[in-house]
Amino acid sequence: MEIIKWIAANVFGTPAILLGFIVFIGLLLQKKKTNQIISGTFKAVIGFLIIGAGAGVIVDSLTVFEPMWKEVFNLKSESLGKFIGQEGFNAKYGSAVTLAMTIGFLINVLLARLTKFKYIYLTGHMMFWTTTVFAGIVIHTVGDVSFWKLVIFLSIIMGLYWTLQPALTQPFMRKITGNDNIALGHTSASVALIGALAGKVLGNKENDSEKIKLPKGLEFLRDSNVITALTMGTLFLVGAIIVSLKGTPGAEELIKKAGNQNFIIYSIVQSFTFAAGIAVVLMGVRMFIGEIVPAFNGIATKLVPGAKPALDCPIVFPYAPNAVILGFLGAFAGALIWLVIIGNTVGYVFVPTMIVLFFHAATAGVFGNATGGVRGALLGGFMTATVVAWGQYIMVKFLISSTIPDTAMWAADSDMFILGPIIKILAQLFF
Amino acid sequence: MKLLCVCGLGQGTSLILRMNVEQVLSELGIAADVEHTDVSTASSMDVDFIVTNKELADSLAGVNAKIIIVNNYFDRVEIKNALEENLK
Repeated sequence: MEIIKWIAANVFGTPAILLGFIVFIGLLLQKKKTNQIISGTFKAVIGFLIIGAGAGVIVDSLTVFEPMWKEVFNLKSESLGKFIGQEGFNAKYGSAVTLAMTIGFLINVLLARLTKFKYIYLTGHMMFWTTTVFAGIVIHTVGDVSFWKLVIFLSIIMGLYWTLQPALTQPFMRKITGNDNIALGHTSASVALIGALAGKVLGNKENDSEKIKLPKGLEFLRDSNVITALTMGTLFLVGAIIVSLKGTPGAEELIKKAGNQNFIIYSIVQSFTFAAGIAVVLMGVRMFIGEIVPAFNGIATKLVPGAKPALDCPIVFPYAPNAVILGFLGAFAGALIWLVIIGNTVGYVFVPTMIVLFFHAATAGVFGNATGGVRGALLGGFMTATVVAWGQYIMVKFLISSTIPDTAMWAADSDMFILGPIIKILAQLFF
Repeated sequence: MKLLCVCGLGQGTSLILRMNVEQVLSELGIAADVEHTDVSTASSMDVDFIVTNKELADSLAGVNAKIIIVNNYFDRVEIKNALEENLK
């Protein structure tokens, strides 16, 4: 009994160790060499710990962004209140998330083996964030729950979602890629479907986006670090200039934070800090996902004959590169419009993180173009911004406010926003 | 020998490319370290080869590594041809 207790506390109760253990088994199953097993296991453990560090950096810069835009909109500055935050959440519930992700994947493989949905979800970083955000909703809704109950609940939901989501988008994927070999496995599925429908109703299929010539100078948009720093930099700059000109007591208070530094320079540095924090988190995620996913893939291809991999959204980008840019432009315009409208109506400061907006809007753009040409692509992007802006407000304020609203502001996205209320209802039913 | 597979975010797509590159390399009987990352990080890493698509190759101009272009990350035949051509 003592041994089981010890293992429960020290292996299952310590997420980084549990993750290292899962990766270790995965590498063994792939029959990797000893040196690869050691380096892979270590990288997984380090990667998980890095996420907490990056999350701290992101939160620091958001605590400047939020009050700044509240001052711009003349909103009363109330803080987010007490919440656990990504770092603390990882420490407490990271094991359940890690295990649910692994078991959920095995359920996905099982369903692919037994049903006609032969899709294997391989977009590992989104698997991690979706499970994390859903765990955040469950804990916020029902409070502290037992470890295994949480694991089983999340595993079943994730297994079903990862099997059915690619099946839903596949009819359009066949149209876009011209074959049936690969599927979309990404949380942008809902906006891709909305984009395709909007394109069908309001677009014009004949006006294909790939017939137009877009300036070559927009290629830098492919670099996630650059788009994040660029858009957040613009918003920080605009906010800082407005606050500097206001002269209200609230504005004076904010400017004091910069100390001897000029407030505008200080704000620009904050926007780059935000981008840096995201780069750090993504590096951590990459370090363990890069070890787990090949093992997942090895298991799936052995067990499921005719398995179709469901992959990250950039797989559709080469089929309509112009629609990618148009989708982004539609989303960027939409994000700015909603930032102002939501700020002035419900008083929420929308954080338009471009990683979320760009990749999802680009996918929705490609889907929108497939049914409605240029107008469909732009609409797909705009609809993405709409779902993300209102979704973020509802998620941060009502679904996840006591657990990880910080994560929801930059890592939660379309499908999670659409499914979030359903997860909340299910959590109320089952816990 | 070190190869780096690169995409815009450095998370999913480059990982799939890495898995395909690793498989092709083992078919060719070539031993190499393969990693995956985003395009910004890639430009500051010391590797022998970078495998990426044409758009991202433009923003990697000037790195020391030799750039191998693969446009369809899921086409093992294209990956095999590109690797054979550049590694021999």
